[in-house]
Amino acid sequence: MDMLGLYPLFYVPHFGSAWLMGLTGAIHIMASHTSVGAALLFAFLAHKAQKENRTDLYDYMKRYGMFLLIFSYVIGSITGPGIWYTATAASPRGISALIHNFVWVWATEWVFFVYEVLGVFALIYFMDKVDRKTHLKLTYTFAIASVGTLALIIGIISFMMWPGTEAYYTTGSASDAFFGINTFPHMFLRIGFMIMMSGIIGMIISSAMRKENKALSEELTQKMGWVSLLGGFVTVFFFMWYVNTLPLNAHTLLGMQKDAIVMNRIILAVLFSIYFSIAIIKPQWVTRTLAITMMFVIGIVGVWPGEKLRESMRKPWVAGQYVYSDQIIGRDVPGKGIKDETGRLSEKGLLKLDLWIPERLRTITPENKLEVGKLLTRIACSNCHSLEKDGVYRPLIPLAGPMGEAGIKDYMKNVIGTGSVAYMPKISLPDEEYDAMAAYIASQAK
Amino acid sequence: MDATFINTMKDAAGVPFYPVVFQGLYVLTWALHAAFVLLALGSMGLSIYGSTQQKSDPYWKILTPHLIMTGKISISILIVLGVAPLLFTQVIYDSGWYVANTLSGAWVFIFIYALVIGYTMYYWYQYSNKKGSSSNTLIGIVSFAILVFCGVLMHNFAVEAISPTKWMDWYAPNGVVDNSGWNMHLDPLRLGFMVSLMIPVTGIFMQNYSRFLSTRKDFEPKYLEFVKKLGTKMAIIGLLISAALFTVWMQKENLLLHPLSLTTVVSVVILLLLAMGNKNSYLTTGVLVIVALLISGVRELIRYNIMSGIGYDLYGYHMNLEWETIAMFLLTFAILGFTGIAFILTMAWKVGKTEGVYTATEGSAVSRLANASLALFILWITVYFGWGMVALFKNTL
Repeated sequence: MDMLGLYPLFYVPHFGSAWLMGLTGAIHIMASHTSVGAALLFAFLAHKAQKENRTDLYDYMKRYGMFLLIFSYVIGSITGPGIWYTATAASPRGISALIHNFVWVWATEWVFFVYEVLGVFALIYFMDKVDRKTHLKLTYTFAIASVGTLALIIGIISFMMWPGTEAYYTTGSASDAFFGINTFPHMFLRIGFMIMMSGIIGMIISSAMRKENKALSEELTQKMGWVSLLGGFVTVFFFMWYVNTLPLNAHTLLGMQKDAIVMNRIILAVLFSIYFSIAIIKPQWVTRTLAITMMFVIGIVGVWPGEKLRESMRKPWVAGQYVYSDQIIGRDVPGKGIKDETGRLSEKGLLKLDLWIPERLRTITPENKLEVGKLLTRIACSNCHSLEKDGVYRPLIPLAGPMGEAGIKDYMKNVIGTGSVAYMPKISLPDEEYDAMAAYIASQAK
Repeated sequence: MDATFINTMKDAAGVPFYPVVFQGLYVLTWALHAAFVLLALGSMGLSIYGSTQQKSDPYWKILTPHLIMTGKISISILIVLGVAPLLFTQVIYDSGWYVANTLSGAWVFIFIYALVIGYTMYYWYQYSNKKGSSSNTLIGIVSFAILVFCGVLMHNFAVEAISPTKWMDWYAPNGVVDNSGWNMHLDPLRLGFMVSLMIPVTGIFMQNYSRFLSTRKDFEPKYLEFVKKLGTKMAIIGLLISAALFTVWMQKENLLLHPLSLTTVVSVVILLLLAMGNKNSYLTTGVLVIVALLISGVRELIRYNIMSGIGYDLYGYHMNLEWETIAMFLLTFAILGFTGIAFILTMAWKVGKTEGVYTATEGSAVSRLANASLALFILWITVYFGWGMVALFKNTL
């Protein structure tokens, strides 16, 4: 049986299944980045407390730690696997490709996670129960372990964008895949953001301490202002390097949204520079309400669009520039013995090659044409488009509907079918399958 | 669903090591994960009872917050330990796991956010219990119910993953495709057995708790005796219930006389005798770990039989050996992982045994483990950057 190893399709009307992954990813980034940044911050504060005998800093660390337990070690540690789960439901073959290339990297990261989870409880609950020197050593190892989790995941998510050289395709080596050209800029960009997040969260904690200890509250708010400013600067600096390591398809998409992105980033940079400056110059102005508001601002206006952009820029691929967003393998990877599937698909079509097509729909008839068209459109397009007229995720019907049935077929066959759009997968199918899809899309546009 | 069908879904990249190794790692890590799932649910459930007794009973007043804390830490640990079996199952049984995730995609999404809400509520439960709030029991019950619901969902994914002959009917009942991801399929007997294990696991934990604190002068011996007796009672009753459910489950799976099930039954009997005598609860815990591994092995046996029964060729999975990353994992796991975890656990042990502040003197085990851990972490990150730069220069210059 000459078929493709595709999976059942999960589709969320109006939003698309990939949207669930984006939402989970954005939440996770806030929590996980704060966690790593806070680990570095704790190492700095514990060092300072030990060196200068500042016992008051331990109180701050304890409060911060309690916040961190919920924010990062409840929300963050659940949404981490949560991205994995939702990504599996949305792009099973994409996740499968990552797992089968990087399972040992992930397993290594797991060792760090275990250390981190046990470490955070020890770090917080043993603060007054173990001598300062041992606690300091624990804080240092905790910081490196946290950075280690980033160091291990970053190569995988960078590979999702692309490895950047031909080496991986030839050797199939996880090392060549992992250390691609955008791995390190991506890593330092995120370290910058992590430091900034630790400062932003740090201000929530320091501002909440005002009633009990005004002087300490203001000193720490000031410090967090500097920490955030440093983190922000590192983020912006490495973002520029990172952009230069992106593939052509990413630049094409980036170019289409360039003005909006630049405007968004300028507004954010100005807004947060003002906020951090206030924290440094007038720490008493940073109230808990303001600090919490700014945390939501960075999440909603900074991280959410940033994650959506990163998702978009990867298109048409979801993993290593060999698995398309429609789950089809779009190029050979000789190092792994992986074969391009687009040729077979072009010749035989999804109806014959997809394992999950019910028998009664494998042959198109006038009676089932629209039903087949609907199913094929879902399989081929729903990873990137909502399929309802009023869908919120790049809705397909308003985009394609106005072309009319013949126009849709023509566009699919001669543009998408030839792989002519840099950010869309090459979906080359037999004529009758285009017919069914065009008929369905046109029917929905009426 | 036939052999070609299920083998076609194997990943084109192949597996990076011998499948049997992933199978072994799966059995090992699932057992660890399950142990903390059971401890979390058991300690949480018992703490809810405790929260209704603590106002009138001084022993429950001490025990209840300790149980809540045990539950809290166990949930974090079970989450992190759960990542490993999830990883290894996807490598060798990718078809099962991915099909289950897509068939139940909506539940997958709900699972994540239910877990976030349930665990966050647990923190609230702990806080309200500390404050002596009258609504603490209710908050605990809701949190408990949500977390149990998450366990049911996870059970659903596991059941679907080992039901390949039903996949097509579930995806396209009567030939009509359903992409909604609302599939839910349970096996009450299997679920009941798994959930029942929380009673003996928590019972044996309480035996350990009592023994561990017996050297502390700030805990009254009568209190520790109360906890020990309660733990023993729970362990005995719980093991009898679990053993009965296990027998019925194995009978249903036609595995009752399989050497692995028989070994499990014998181990449970030994565990029961040890728990009843309660001479050395640490030894009992060691046997409990063996029982957990055997149960994990039985689960794997069931899955292997089902999948190979329809022609899934697990050991024939195309292999692309990955020496560099395997070496990284093994060295990290065996050297850094063991040293680091030993550091934290030894420190925790010492802290638990000490009234007041524990000081790790130069040359003590904690001090040496702390130094070794720090050195290994620094070495690890240095090697990482060195390796990365070599790989990058090799491929770009």
